[in-house]
Amino acid sequence: MKQTNSLVKTNEPMWKRIWQNNHLRFMLFGVVIGLLPWLSDAGLMKSSTLSYIGNVLIYAVAALGLNLLLGYSGLISLGTAGFMGLGSYIAAYVAKDMELGFWVATLLAILIPTLIGILIGLVSLRIAGIYLAIATLCVSEILLKTFEQLDTFTGGMQGKTTAYPTLFQNPLTRNGTYLLLVVALILVMMLTHNLVNGQMGRALHAMRGSEVAAQAMGVNLLKYRLIAFSLATAYAALAGALYVFFIKFSYPSVWNLNLSLYILAAVVIGGFRSIYGTVLGAFVVWAIPDLVLKNLPVIGEINGLAYIFNGILIILVVMFAPGGIGGLWPKILRLKDKLLGKNKQDKEPKEAGDAV
Amino acid sequence: MGNELGTILQLFLRSLETGSVYALAALGIIIIYRTSNITHFAQGSMGMFNTYIVTYLFTSFSMPLWASTLCGIAAAVLIGFVVDLLVIRHTKKISPVAKQIITLGLIMVFLGLSPMLFGVDPLLLPRFIQSGDISIGGAAISYNAILNICTGLVLMIVLFYVLQKTKMGLAVRTTASNESTAMLMGVPTRKVTLAAWAVAGVLGCLSGVMIAPTTTVTTTLMNAVQVNALFACVLGGFQTFYGPVLGAYIIGIGRNFLVYYVSSVWGEQIMYLLILIFLIFRPNGLVGKKFIKKV
Repeated sequence: MKQTNSLVKTNEPMWKRIWQNNHLRFMLFGVVIGLLPWLSDAGLMKSSTLSYIGNVLIYAVAALGLNLLLGYSGLISLGTAGFMGLGSYIAAYVAKDMELGFWVATLLAILIPTLIGILIGLVSLRIAGIYLAIATLCVSEILLKTFEQLDTFTGGMQGKTTAYPTLFQNPLTRNGTYLLLVVALILVMMLTHNLVNGQMGRALHAMRGSEVAAQAMGVNLLKYRLIAFSLATAYAALAGALYVFFIKFSYPSVWNLNLSLYILAAVVIGGFRSIYGTVLGAFVVWAIPDLVLKNLPVIGEINGLAYIFNGILIILVVMFAPGGIGGLWPKILRLKDKLLGKNKQDKEPKEAGDAV
Repeated sequence: MGNELGTILQLFLRSLETGSVYALAALGIIIIYRTSNITHFAQGSMGMFNTYIVTYLFTSFSMPLWASTLCGIAAAVLIGFVVDLLVIRHTKKISPVAKQIITLGLIMVFLGLSPMLFGVDPLLLPRFIQSGDISIGGAAISYNAILNICTGLVLMIVLFYVLQKTKMGLAVRTTASNESTAMLMGVPTRKVTLAAWAVAGVLGCLSGVMIAPTTTVTTTLMNAVQVNALFACVLGGFQTFYGPVLGAYIIGIGRNFLVYYVSSVWGEQIMYLLILIFLIFRPNGLVGKKFIKKV
């Protein structure tokens, strides 16, 4: 499916060529989710639903970062929420207290957590295995405590508030900020796509196959692990900044371990190394419990339903469908081909979870 | 000066109490790690859930505390069995990373089950021995703290005796060192793993019951215990059973002294930083052996 751009035959119809261009497809996806505010304005969709979808887009950005780390290097970070929180507080502080505007705020909100991430990575990635998980867990505990105690910067337990951002002297409304989220997500999706299909992606793929073999081929394990972890941190920090601009507040209690687990759930359910899968995973994790399960009779009344739903889903996916939603796609394609009687085995991806 | 010495002694005794809580939880984590090759992130959450059961039986059915604790232990054994039989047993072929993710999924399940079954309001669990202090060399310590310290020590002595001196312990150690060889030698590794999950559950439940009177019983009850127990394992090294116990007591002592002498707000965080720095120099922990990766 991927990397077919160069192989596209010139005599194919126009729509097919557009469809086969990955970047155009990302943009098409962006246009589709970018149309939702009009649905909401036209009264076809509840206004609160748009907030939920906005949430999904924000967390999808963080999940895409974690997927780069977990899907390719098999390393778990439990500090996603901590870095998101840090990004959100920096963005709010720079935009509101220092009045430096959206762009500077977002840039700083990405840069500072990423630098901290690189530092942690340098220390903990030398030691293999679960140490990154534990080091990031520790750092996110420290960050959480800082959010609670550093009143002047974070507003303490009362939290920090901010306004919708102003772009080019143009104050955005909720719908405008939502479109900003869409643009950010699409850009992140494209960036991720380019990264994993470029030189870095090949190195990461080699590492995933066999670390020893990759090392023998001259892949510097520490370097690529560090890059993957820094990217995960940067994505999380960006997601945090987007969060504070869309939701307009940031409390310490939001950025706890449970949020990191939710983001992990989105990655696992969506499927490792799958870009669209991760976005769908974020949708399953954040939107399904609030939009679907809560409206069901009896079941909807249960406290903690979202946790149980996502927890069981994680366990089931890991045990029975390790490819997640992204891994199901090639199977669906195969089923479709079988039903239509086509026999195009050469086009099928070799491994579940590799496609999309 | 005498007063100063008294403070130090008091801090030390209190550290022994927190240390035992961490040590019990850490022992649970290490038993699971050694027998199932899983980093057990859900040890705290399962302990939290079982503590909820104890508290619920105590407050809603006004059962005596010892009886509800016994019921909690029984529940812990049962839940351990269920988790192993339903989930862990079927994950033999799954990568260690995926197994860790499963325990993260377990955390979410127990986080969701607790408010569903026991409500969202915080509950209170009293101490076993309500009142009474004893003075040792100028340091006051409650009877309950002594009970906690002794329970921890007795449990650990029993566990280590079983592990080192009995046939059952030999089976556990064989499974821990190499599961497939153990199976070929006729060790019932499935039973060993099943028992390990039950034992870990009981240890988690007891550490929860010990820590609960110092705070309220909510879903976040065991968060600090889980984090510290994991750190104890890292500090002590994952290769031995006694390393994490040692690590747990060091963390307990270090934490209380830092909180008292350096900063009441940042003491615990400084402790975490120190452990991270320590790991740079000794990545395999205090008593850990170097793990050699074979191709």
